[in-house]
Parts: sequence; C-alpha cells; structure tokens
Amino acid sequence: MSDTDFQSVITPPPADQLVLETRNLNFYYGSNQSLFGVSMPVKRNGITALIGPSGCGKSTLLRTMNRIYDLYPGQRAEGEILVDGENILGPKVDVTALRARVGMVFQKPTPFPMSIYDNVAFGVKLYHKKSKSQMDEVVEKALRRAALWDEVKDKLQKSGLSLSGGQQQRLCVARGIAVEPEILLLDEPASALDPISTAKLEDTLEELKRDLTIIIVTHNLQQAARLSDYTGFMYLGKMVEYGPTEELFVKPKVERTSDYIGGRFG
Amino acid sequence: MSLQSARHPDPVDPIFRGLAFAAATTLLLTLGGLIVALMIGGWPAISKFGFGFLTSSTWNPVTEVYGAAGPIVGTLITAVLSLAIALPIAVCVSVFLTQYCPKAIAQPVSTAIELLAGIPSIVYGMWGLFVFAPWFARTVQLPILTSLDPESFWGKLLAGVPNGANIFTASIVLAIMILPYMSAVFRELFRSIPPQVREAAFGLGCTSYEVVGSVLIPYVKKGMIGVVMLGFGRALGETMAVTFIIGNSHRFPDSLFASGSTLASTIANEFNEASGVHLASLIALGLVLFLITFTVLAIARALLSSQRY
Amino acid sequence: MDRALRRKFANQAFVVICTGAALVALGALALIMFSLLTKGVGGVDLMLFTADTPAPDSPGGLRNAIIGSILMCGVAMMIAVVIGVLAGTWLAEIGGDTPYGHVVRFLNDVLLSAPSILIGLFVYWWVVVPMGGFSGWAGAIALGILATPIVTRTTEDILNLQPNALREAGMALGASQWVTVRSIIWKAAGAGMLTGGLLGFARISGETAPLLFTALNNQFLSFDMSKPFASLPGAIYPFAMSPYETWNTLAWAGALLITLAVLGVNILGRWLARDKDHK
Repeated sequence: MSDTDFQSVITPPPADQLVLETRNLNFYYGSNQSLFGVSMPVKRNGITALIGPSGCGKSTLLRTMNRIYDLYPGQRAEGEILVDGENILGPKVDVTALRARVGMVFQKPTPFPMSIYDNVAFGVKLYHKKSKSQMDEVVEKALRRAALWDEVKDKLQKSGLSLSGGQQQRLCVARGIAVEPEILLLDEPASALDPISTAKLEDTLEELKRDLTIIIVTHNLQQAARLSDYTGFMYLGKMVEYGPTEELFVKPKVERTSDYIGGRFG
Repeated sequence: MSLQSARHPDPVDPIFRGLAFAAATTLLLTLGGLIVALMIGGWPAISKFGFGFLTSSTWNPVTEVYGAAGPIVGTLITAVLSLAIALPIAVCVSVFLTQYCPKAIAQPVSTAIELLAGIPSIVYGMWGLFVFAPWFARTVQLPILTSLDPESFWGKLLAGVPNGANIFTASIVLAIMILPYMSAVFRELFRSIPPQVREAAFGLGCTSYEVVGSVLIPYVKKGMIGVVMLGFGRALGETMAVTFIIGNSHRFPDSLFASGSTLASTIANEFNEASGVHLASLIALGLVLFLITFTVLAIARALLSSQRY
Repeated sequence: MDRALRRKFANQAFVVICTGAALVALGALALIMFSLLTKGVGGVDLMLFTADTPAPDSPGGLRNAIIGSILMCGVAMMIAVVIGVLAGTWLAEIGGDTPYGHVVRFLNDVLLSAPSILIGLFVYWWVVVPMGGFSGWAGAIALGILATPIVTRTTEDILNLQPNALREAGMALGASQWVTVRSIIWKAAGAGMLTGGLLGFARISGETAPLLFTALNNQFLSFDMSKPFASLPGAIYPFAMSPYETWNTLAWAGALLITLAVLGVNILGRWLARDKDHK
C-alpha cells in the first residue's frame, strides 16, 4: 500500500442532524494541492475534532469553513461546503455574513487592542445596533458562557492584552460567541496554553456544545477523545476515517488510524 | 593565580575599549557642543530682546530689532499643514500597499517609495520653485483672487500675491517630501502586526475597512503617533525644500497664501550676510528650532519605545 | 439588511479612497521625477564634467562642484565611519546597557533627526569662527557629524543581530575582546556595516543646508580644503535661485546628478543587505 493510496471510511451522523458538510473538497496553495476530495459531515450541536500528524491538512480544512483563506490570493478551494444546505464556496456568498455564522478562534490568542468589554462588543456592533444596557447584557452573557466573567467582571475596561494567555484565549471565545454563530471553529486553541488553562478552556467548550456546533483542530489525541462526539482523522490531505469518537478511538476501521492512535507513527 | 599568568592580557584591549568609549562620548560632546554654541551664539540677542524675542514679529536688520514670532509661527503652520496633508495620504498609501495591492506590484512600489524617501530635499525645493509654484499661481491662486470678495472670510484667508511662493505651497511641497518617509514606516508598522490578528478580525466577519480602522490601526497606534512626531520633526527642521518656495518674508503670516518664513529658512537665507546682533538673532532662532524639535523627538521616542507587540 | 448594505458601502468607499490616495501620492512623486529628468537631462553633456561653474550666461559645467562634493563627502565618511563604528561597537558590545549607554543612545537618536541646518550652525561656531573662515574641512566635518549617528545606529543594530554564540566562541578560545570584535564580530557583520556606511553617504551627498555657512562655495576647481570649497548642493542652490537661464539649467543637471548618485548608493546598499532582509 503506497502512502497516498488508502481507503476512506466515513460514518456520517444522522442526515437530519447535519449542520455543515464538505463534499469532495480540494484545496490549493497556488499550484500545490493540499486537500484531496475531503468529505466531512458535521453534526449540529456538539464537538467535532480533527486529528492527524502536522501538515495533514486539518487546519487547512478548518480554514475553508469560513473562507478565511480568501485573504490570501492564490489559495482556492474546489468542491462544496454546505452550511445548512447552502454552498458557501459559491461566488455570490457574502463572506462577511458567513463569518458571522461561522466564527473562529485561533492557535495564539488574538485579543484586539481595546478593552475587554470592547473586545466582546466589537463583533456584535458589526451586525446589530444595541443600546448600552442591551450591549452590557450581551457582553456579560458571552463572558459567562466563556467562563471568564468571574475573572474579569471588575476590570472590563482594562485592555484585553492585560489578561493571561488562557484568559485571552477564553476572551477570544467570548468574542466569537457574542456574535451568536451557529458554528465555532477552533484551530489548536490550547496549544499555547498551560495545562490548567487548557482544562478551563475544555470546560468552556463542554458548556458551549449544548447549543453550538464546535469544530476543533487538535494535535492532542487525549483532548480529542475527551471532548468530542465525532472525530476525523486526516493524513496527507485526505480524510482517512471519520465517525463517532468512541468508535474511532476504540475500534478504528482503518489500519492507519489505529497506527496513529496507537502511537506507531506521526 | 595560574589562570591569570597563563596568558598576558591583550594590551590592545584597553586601548580598544578606551577608543570605543571616546567615540561614544564624542556623540555626547557633539550634542553638548551644539547646545553651548546655540546658547552662547544666541546670547547677545536673547539678552537684548529678552522674552520679547519670542513674541515680537518685527524682524528689521536696518533698525537692528529682531523678533522670532514670524518665523516661529511660519514653522509651526507649515509643519502642521504639511502633516495634515501627508498623514491621511500616507496612511492610505500604506493600507493600500499592505491590504489591497496585488503582491507583485506592492513590492516594487514599496521599494520605490522607500527610495524616494532618500531624495535630497533640494530637489523637492527646486520642483516647488520651478514647477509647482508657477502652476499653483496660474491655476489656483489667480482664479481664487479674481472670484472671491477680498473682504469675505475666504477672501481674507486666501489673500496673497499670486506668485505661488507662500505658506500653503511650501506646506504642500513639505508634505510631498515627508510622504514617502511616513508611508514607508507606516507600512513597516502594519507588516509587524501578527497575521492572526488580521485573520481574527476577518474571522468575525469584519469588512476590510473595519479591520483596518478598528483593529489594525489601534494595534499600532502608539507607533503611528511616534512616526507622526518624527515626520513632524522633519517638517519643522527642513530647510531647503521650504527656503525655495515660502517667499521669505518675516511678517506675521496673515493668510494661507501669504509669503512667510520658517526658522530654518531664515537662517539659511540671511546667515552669510549677517553680523553682530543680526547673527546672534539667527543663532537664537537656531536655539528655538532646536528646543522645538528636541521636544518633538523626545515625545516621539518615548512613544515608539513603548510600542510593544 | 440596511446595516449590512451600509457596511459594504463604507468598505467600498474606503478601498476607493485608499487606492485613490496611493495613486495621488505616487503621481506626485512621479511628477517630481519626471520634471527632474526632463529638465535635468538637457543640461547633461560632456562639459558638465569637464568645465567649472561659469559666470552668468556663459557656458560651463560642474566639475569643481562634483569634485568638491566627492572630496568633502569622502573626508566626512572617514570621520563618520571611524567614530560611528567605534561608538556603535561600544553601544553593542561594551557599555550599551549602562546608564551612560542609554544616554548616549538617546543623544545619538537626537543627532540622527536633528535639523541639518543646526549642525551647520554648530560647525560654524566651533570650526569656522576659530579657523577664521569658511573651508572645505568645515564642510566635511559638518557632513561627517550628519553621517556619524547613522553609522553608529546601523553598526549597533547589526552587531546586536550577531548571535552571542559567536562572542562566546571567540572568548572561549582565549581571544581578547578586541580580537573577538575585530576578527569575528566585525567580519560577520561586514555587509550590514557597509550598508550603514552607504546609507550615511547617501544621506549627506545631497545635504545643502549644513554647507551654506561651513564650506560656502568656490567658483573654481580647488583641492585646498582649508579654503572655501565647492560642492554640488552648494552650487545648485544659488544657481537655482538666480535669474540666469544657463545657471538654472546647470542647477537641474546638478540636481539630477545628485539624485542619481543618492538612488544608486541606496540601491547598492539594499543589494548588499538583501540577504539580511529575511531575518
């Protein structure tokens, strides 16, 4: 069996629970193809994890889902990504509106150079006109859901940059969910955090998944196993195996998946 | 003991350190010497005219009465005006180059702008005198002069001899001169912002205008103010670009299109014919210029060094 | 929906404004270059380099001014390189972290952006007056003082980029600081330091203001730097201000020469530093 020739086993969630689905997705950095026919059906409300060795395309796949790659000329995606049945790769899609529905949190915390309050309010202001008291409510709710409220409620006017790394990351989560997206993408959100901050972030995600679809890229297999309901294992730009997390970790259907999970490569 | 005797210390070492220290101290002495020269040289004028030197706008070599208010105001007006013109354009240019311009064009254009920042100011001054001033007098000043009521507010603001040599045109030439410098540094500032910050803002669904205005510019705000102050310092002290075109009159400027003078242009124009109190007054102008630019530079430096990413 | 439309419109307006401003700025700069080329090229001929500055309305060139500029800038760069490299090395390798080091660094920054005409005043007071007259030496010193902080700054920056392992490796061999700096650090930083020197050279070769009352000017070819001395900027300024057309033409030709020289030196400096760009 050569490196690029392997089967792909997809166990989709029930069809009526789908919120996002990539179909036969190819991705190119200039003339370099980095995703090959990736199909991934994502279940509504819950956590879906993407795992795989570095360079396997899991971050690239995530970055197609809110078209953040649009920022870089030369990067393009082919195929279909359906969000609530609508193909977001189409030419007429309003990416601004799309990104309000599909939020994103990055590997490194990216608080904006403004106060904690304004960081959370910033995204909301883009879409809705709200009175001061309404906005206060929105900000408090978002910070509570991100499990940051108790730590920052007395210093909302301080700069977002003054928080610790873990707090900054949860601030970014709060900023992301304040817009009330359907889907939140997280690109290795814990890789820059210490274990305690990581645990807090994971608790936050557990809370959020009840009414939010979370797709998380992680290089930490335990984290994927702990957190997620569905897991996709990617290798060399292809989706090798995708299915309920328990099945994938306990009895993987593809040999390469079990090799990776068993620590035999990657 | 054995360690110390194992090898003779290099006899050149202390000499090298001494010379390096002396060179560093030369810088200190130079600046100290500059201040001393300006103070001693300007003292006859300062002691004669006192505080009035700063507030009087009389500059008369015949009666030997000198006041610096005209050049001081001229310096501040041209510097502020040129900054007001150059700043928004420089921001736009750097935003264009870092956000909108195709990469293949952005690189050569950026390099060209950086190269233009090095062009001697005398070139800008000559262009101002020979090309811009006549054009401005013909196509802007004359029509305004003939169409405006000289007693109205605008008429007064824009009154002046239509020869194109005035405070306004000097400010424009100054603005063009500091434009490449400011654009180049702004571009560097924007490029220093980590790409994730930009992605995070776009990821929220911001339009590029919102990303630039609400996130990127605040992100480098302190640095930008520092650059603005450095640009301001340049405009304040610039000599040749202004001397050519400002008209060199020591009156207190009473309109935008009036001829005027700056501290630097007055020194450049009159120094070689001056003696006695006139010379001392010119050196005192230098002292004023030094104090203004030093203050601006110190603020700029404090702001730039506090910019942390 | 209304809000989304408004945001979209604001964004498009912003893009248009930015693009427009960029075009205006580039257009203005292109216009200046165009004027310089068209007006300057007419005055460039062989005589420009073989004849000295003429009387009004008679043919001539800029030979004395070109040679004067080269000589003064040469001497200035010798001053600037010796002092600047040593001072930069002191800041980077020896005393940069001491309080005195911080003071020196700050004063160097002040000198770096001080109006050049003030440097002219400084040299007038401390060199021209004591020596009893304008001279090429005074001009060279003024230019040298302008270039020194540039060389100091780039030297310090480049030396700071050198990995500490280099210094430790030198010291570990038992080399003295002097030997380490001279044969390891300076060598490793050579290209960058050369770039610094070239940038300093580019800056002073077009400087006019500090020469006005230090070197003054000289209508004839002279190699005696203790006398008033010709320079390109020093010749261009009065020629440009004069009512004589032949002098104006020479001024434009001289401005073109200076600009080309400055651009050439800058490009050379960038070319030498091109590998250091990707740090």
